[in-house]
Amino acid sequence: MTVSQTAIAVTASSEIPTARRRSSAVGEAVFATLARLAGLFVLVLLGAILVSLLIGGIPSFRAFGLSFLIDTAWDPVKQVFGAAVPIYGTLVTAVLALVFALPVAFGIAYFLTELAPHWLRRPVGTAIELLAAVPSIIYGMWGFFVVVPLMAEYLQPHVIDTFDGIPVLQDLFAGPPFGTGILTAALILAVMVVPFIAATMRDVFLTVPTVYKESAYGVGCTTWEVVRSVVIPYTRISVIGGIMLGLGRALGETMAVTFVIGNTNRISTSLFGPGNTIASLVALEFPESQAGSLKLSSLLALGFILFVISFIVLAISRMLLPTAKA
Amino acid sequence: MNDTMSSQNQEHATIGPMQARSSEALNEVRIAIRNLDFFYGANHALKAITLDLPDRQVTGMIGPSGCGKSTLLRVLNRMYDLYPGQRATGEVMMNGENIIAPGIDVNQLRSRIGMVFQTPTPFPMSIYDNIAFGVKLHERLSRSAMDERVEWSLTRAALWAEVKDRLNTPAAGLSGGQQQRLCIARTIAIQPEVILLDEPTSALDPISTLKIEELIDELKQDFTIAIITHNMQQAARCADQVAFFYLGEMVEVGDAAQMFTAPREKRTQEYITGRFG
Amino acid sequence: MSATLSNPLAGPMRDSSVAGRLSRRRRRTNGIVRVLCGIATLIGLALLASILFTLLWRGVGGLSLAVFTHITKSPGSGGGLLNAIVGSLIQTALGTLVGTPIGLMVGTYLSEYARQSMLGNVVRFISDILLSAPSILIGLFVYAVMVAPAGGFSGLAGAVALAVIVVPIVVRTTEDMLRLIPVSLREAAMALGAPKWKCIVFICYRAALNGIATGVLLAVARVAGETAPLLFTSLGNLNWSLSLTQPMASLPVTIYQYAGSAFQDWVQLAWVGALLITFGVLALNIVARVALRARH
Repeated sequence: MTVSQTAIAVTASSEIPTARRRSSAVGEAVFATLARLAGLFVLVLLGAILVSLLIGGIPSFRAFGLSFLIDTAWDPVKQVFGAAVPIYGTLVTAVLALVFALPVAFGIAYFLTELAPHWLRRPVGTAIELLAAVPSIIYGMWGFFVVVPLMAEYLQPHVIDTFDGIPVLQDLFAGPPFGTGILTAALILAVMVVPFIAATMRDVFLTVPTVYKESAYGVGCTTWEVVRSVVIPYTRISVIGGIMLGLGRALGETMAVTFVIGNTNRISTSLFGPGNTIASLVALEFPESQAGSLKLSSLLALGFILFVISFIVLAISRMLLPTAKA
Repeated sequence: MNDTMSSQNQEHATIGPMQARSSEALNEVRIAIRNLDFFYGANHALKAITLDLPDRQVTGMIGPSGCGKSTLLRVLNRMYDLYPGQRATGEVMMNGENIIAPGIDVNQLRSRIGMVFQTPTPFPMSIYDNIAFGVKLHERLSRSAMDERVEWSLTRAALWAEVKDRLNTPAAGLSGGQQQRLCIARTIAIQPEVILLDEPTSALDPISTLKIEELIDELKQDFTIAIITHNMQQAARCADQVAFFYLGEMVEVGDAAQMFTAPREKRTQEYITGRFG
Repeated sequence: MSATLSNPLAGPMRDSSVAGRLSRRRRRTNGIVRVLCGIATLIGLALLASILFTLLWRGVGGLSLAVFTHITKSPGSGGGLLNAIVGSLIQTALGTLVGTPIGLMVGTYLSEYARQSMLGNVVRFISDILLSAPSILIGLFVYAVMVAPAGGFSGLAGAVALAVIVVPIVVRTTEDMLRLIPVSLREAAMALGAPKWKCIVFICYRAALNGIATGVLLAVARVAGETAPLLFTSLGNLNWSLSLTQPMASLPVTIYQYAGSAFQDWVQLAWVGALLITFGVLALNIVARVALRARH
């Protein structure tokens, strides 16, 4: 047998050569340092993004001061730029998008967790997740070529006629029915955001321990009553986190909005009127901006503002929703 | 049982293959634990433990759950180093060094004191690589020497016959009992001096349990073994000396036969007869 | 039946007619909610169907070999999308290659070295925010630090922008997958005397390989369709160019330029491009999810 050879091997292995011991310590130190540097890199990256946008925007901030935020002008000829129109557009489209998206997303999440038969849950859930994976430019094209004509031919004329004569509503839904505009942009954004919120809500609803639901069923609650009185209160905070996540995404969307928002620099009272969001304005005006120009600086300043708004919204979301979804 | 064990011990003195270590090792103490205290944060989990682990004998550790047996084992191979807030004071002497003192190369220590856990933990690689992984950490072997070492450890772990034709298949494909024997093979492949077994058969079926108990009986010819078990019959079958732990203290230690027939302490008597568990 | 006095333990009797009425109303509400939720789900599915159908209907007509063999040309001269496709492949591949190792190390840091630490929590927080940050801002950032100082747009800048988007995705997946590894497996490796880094690289990475690969696939699917970051970095190029220091074409940017144009053949090509991207991205997603499900 190889026993005698093994016996010799035993004595040899009792003393680990010092060279190997040292290299093991070095390997450990190198790897740990690399890992820590990588962690720091993320922080540096965030800082760099913030700083570069801020520095790029400084000429504009210096030229216009705080009135930059409330000025509605955007005049390359007179070299006067204001951020009010895009900020307004960004906030209005995002909030409207959420208003449209929330009921649908909730309905889908409710369906997936309580109503659907088990064999249906995975395919439908996957379909919703695939909806989230579609690139935003596709949404933009679909919006421009499918939704806009529909809006122009059916929805907008109908609504305009219906609300004609009613004091507030007729101004809110006025204007030539081009099909584009703030409302259309909000609708496209809503479609984009629904799958995110629905998937988050579904995941969060699934965390409710079965015992809680069963005890509610046990006293005779209907499914809706179980959801209303057990599931929603239990998951309230995470649901809000999911909503904020959807809001964060809606605020920064570029391609979906650029095609349909109408690219006009004024704040119109009508929801059917055109406008701009920060993202769409930057995307549209960038090609015609020269390096170092005041216009480019204003675009970077707008980017900084968008980053601050998104950061706040996403930070709130992250605090409410402890784990992010990739 | 006393007779068979002493006659076996006498055979070891003449036939045991690992004589390179020490031929008069029989009554030598491999690990001497002196006044060991252990803390999980503020929780005083082990109190003034003093225990000898005799060379090439099996020390069984019994006692109710949560009494510090696992904690003690994990002190011996410095596993507690992985977790902040856990610390040990006292002395654990092995080969003249206090292994819980700072300045000890922990990785090297773990090559001398191996551990097998309660749940089988095959690495996500082939059977061959599972064994080779540990060996490569501490030695440079040629391909043929490594093949030999793999065959040797699998043979000592009573697994060779079952896996010799599929060394390159994933280890996860083995049954629970086979996986645990693989873990034992993996541990002995790096040729430690001491093997710590933390309830090695509690997750296994009776037949695998029996095979592993037979294994322990063979392995003690070459390795010092400490085994934690909840099964007192197992302790009676496998161990040479048995230590009874209760609430962080070692209540009694003695020869296995004596412990189960005439223990000195009342608490030991009560535990063994099932008054509490 | 006055049961109250004859048997004090019986308690007040329930008025069954009230209960019945309430029950009917509650059941009706429940039913209405059911229908509404069903409608909501149908809306969601219908939207997906509409998008896919539109892509197929408008895009298939333009599919031809010429799309894959000709580069983009001026309207009316029968161009294709070759340079856009190749440019997208190059920038996506390069971006993934650069971003994945960084994301892997950060995920390893968060899971193995900084599970509870304050710094680790901050890094985790920031990484998750970057995950959902508007991609147009990433484009602006890379423009400000790479394009403007260098004086020109480049495929390299485009790849860097995509890499920045890839990193947080890989970080999240890597940390989640590494955390799933049971403590006993790690301890078994450490008990053999393995230093921590070998335990991570040879045991943990191997055990988490499938999950991490899925994360990378999902990251690729995400950046393959990104337009805004490329608009500010690689700009797009209507000619054939493989140079990383020159503007480089990409499929999403070309689609963007073509779709908004007034030329029919360009719009048709935009639809073809949209079809290609969408089905490519969806295929990647399905592969990733099937792979993830198969191993768990």
